[in-house]
Amino acid sequence: MQGIIRTIRDGSGFDILLLGFALLYLVVFSAFPIVYNIIMSLQTVDMFTLTSFNRPFVGLQNYYDIFSQPVAGTIFWNTVKFVVLSIVFQLSIGFGLALFFQQDFPGASYLRGLFLAGWIMPALVVGAIWKWLFAGDFGVINYALTSLGIADERIFWLSDPNVALYAVIIANIWLGIPFNMILLSVGLASIPRDVYEAAELDGAGAFERFRSITLPLMRAQLGAVISLGVIFTLQQFDLIAALTQGGPADSSNVAQYWSWQFSFQTYEISLGSAVSVLMIIFVIVVAAVYVRSTRHEHSY
Amino acid sequence: MKRVMKWIAAASLFMSGAAQAESVTLDIWTIDRPDQYMYLLKDEFEQSHPDIKLNIKTVQFRDMVNDLARATATGESPDVTYIDNPEVALFASRGLLLDLSPMLAESKVIKKEDIFPGPLSSVTWDGKIYGIPRGANTIALYYNADMFKAKGLDPDNPPKTWDELYAAAKKLNDPAKNIYGLAFSAVATEEGTFQFLPWLQMAGGDYNKVDTEGGIKVLDFWGKLLDEKLASPDTLIRSQFDSTGTFNAGNAAMAISGPWELPRMGREAKFDYRAALLPIPQEGATRASALGEGDNVILAKSEHPKEAFILLEFLYSKMPDVWNRFGFVPAANVKSNDPKTPAIYAVFEESMKYARNRGPHPEWPKISKAIYTAIQSSLTHQSDAKTALGTAQKQIDAVLNK
Repeated sequence: MQGIIRTIRDGSGFDILLLGFALLYLVVFSAFPIVYNIIMSLQTVDMFTLTSFNRPFVGLQNYYDIFSQPVAGTIFWNTVKFVVLSIVFQLSIGFGLALFFQQDFPGASYLRGLFLAGWIMPALVVGAIWKWLFAGDFGVINYALTSLGIADERIFWLSDPNVALYAVIIANIWLGIPFNMILLSVGLASIPRDVYEAAELDGAGAFERFRSITLPLMRAQLGAVISLGVIFTLQQFDLIAALTQGGPADSSNVAQYWSWQFSFQTYEISLGSAVSVLMIIFVIVVAAVYVRSTRHEHSY
Repeated sequence: MKRVMKWIAAASLFMSGAAQAESVTLDIWTIDRPDQYMYLLKDEFEQSHPDIKLNIKTVQFRDMVNDLARATATGESPDVTYIDNPEVALFASRGLLLDLSPMLAESKVIKKEDIFPGPLSSVTWDGKIYGIPRGANTIALYYNADMFKAKGLDPDNPPKTWDELYAAAKKLNDPAKNIYGLAFSAVATEEGTFQFLPWLQMAGGDYNKVDTEGGIKVLDFWGKLLDEKLASPDTLIRSQFDSTGTFNAGNAAMAISGPWELPRMGREAKFDYRAALLPIPQEGATRASALGEGDNVILAKSEHPKEAFILLEFLYSKMPDVWNRFGFVPAANVKSNDPKTPAIYAVFEESMKYARNRGPHPEWPKISKAIYTAIQSSLTHQSDAKTALGTAQKQIDAVLNK
């Protein structure tokens, strides 16, 4: 007994104890739900069998069912478009704004702070506001476009199947910019000023300084922001629920919303699990890239 | 001494009161807000039945099926709950609801023969009765009589057939003033199926037989309304509530919706609004209408089935008041007490005779999804009506033949 207390107070027991807490947390809140989800994706599950493990095992049948759905291809491409376009624009606009607010002008830091307002708002609220902006018959955007003469006819942002996905992407880009900007601002602030000054003395222009100083030194931050962006974009559910609910005719449906529809609209919980397992695999790949990109930081 | 006697008297009074209060408490789940149906009737019921107390819990409409399924799995289900019409079969088929047929046979309050066929079919599964409709609703054609007059249409002679509906919508449509001819909902949810089914049934078809000539005719008709912008393209994403909102605001001259809209219409619509039966495909065609609202059911595991049935009888006895108090159409052949907006009431009361249940089928959500998916893919021209309905039929057959 004495020995145990001593090792906990001062020795390897303490390390194990700390490790134990972290592991317990991970097992209970991360590993268990993931494993449970994988098990459900291999069984036939509905609402009434949700609480028991004793359910028919069907192997990969659920995955087969998912891929044989006629909309599977559309939803896959929508998800890719949703993620790639959201990330590209969130990152480039966010990076541009971060560089802009890095300049020394009055009120720069206050304005930068104001940008966070968008990030603080719940996505459901953001969705409701964008729904008004995008509204086909009475929306502000259509009013602006037609009265400025940019568009001849109203664009039915949320009910035109060729446009709906892009409307959701635009709203999601807006929502993600502040997060990108703030994280990248922190990275920019940590680059020593004198590096730029030295480069300037050597005659490097603004673009040259950006290309050979800013970009290489921001590598780790950019990697982190992109990986987190992918994860956040794949989590984006509220916005879709508020704007289009995946419609019309699944033209703006993406994997995460599809999974929810299976589980909670038609109660095919095992199919919903299968979709989310596929998403987990994708996120693991992204997370691996993220871990690789942050590993560089430690070697400095 | 006197004081002691007083105390004893008071204590004994208290004791007897406590003994009387040893009453049954029923757990009730409802989708109502505190100013609606169950909450309003609670006090009346408790006054007339002092030995039965009600413990009401509100569950969001969209969560009801999930929460109830989970509660039955963990043994925490209520005694009495609301269930939406098409979901009764799901719970009844799994033996989770109490078969009311024996109690119904002896009931002096509820006569099975009085309940309209649509609502009765919604609570029937495998020949047994599993719930009592708390009221019903259906859909009809609302129209703006002022706009009819302004465009030279006769407000006393609203469209009766689809052709007349199209002609009226075309005449009333006024893009310069932001007015669409007709507002309805083809949204990709249960509501889209709810609005579509009566059209299909009138044209020959039903939930189990959608790939019919009639089905194609309906989708082509709806498509024509959308393509010619006689109805807003947003019809594809608007719920019935949102669509009718545009009618109330004067941005649509006609709207297809139900009696639940009347309280809001009374507040918002600043014009002479009237209602007519849902138009039929052609003169002499069969009528059909949607059946909405839900039922009061008793869970099979309830420990107080007798008291729960007394509550159901009490709720049923309020049927003559449901129109005025709660905005439901009576689900049974009773005489409403002095109905408000009598002309509109008469239309809905007649529609009720043609109202058909959705299903019943335990996997109704899958059937419904096949139907609204077909509507959407046809109206967005991703496939023609025939192909869309053919795909839906295959999915529906897969569910029905399981």
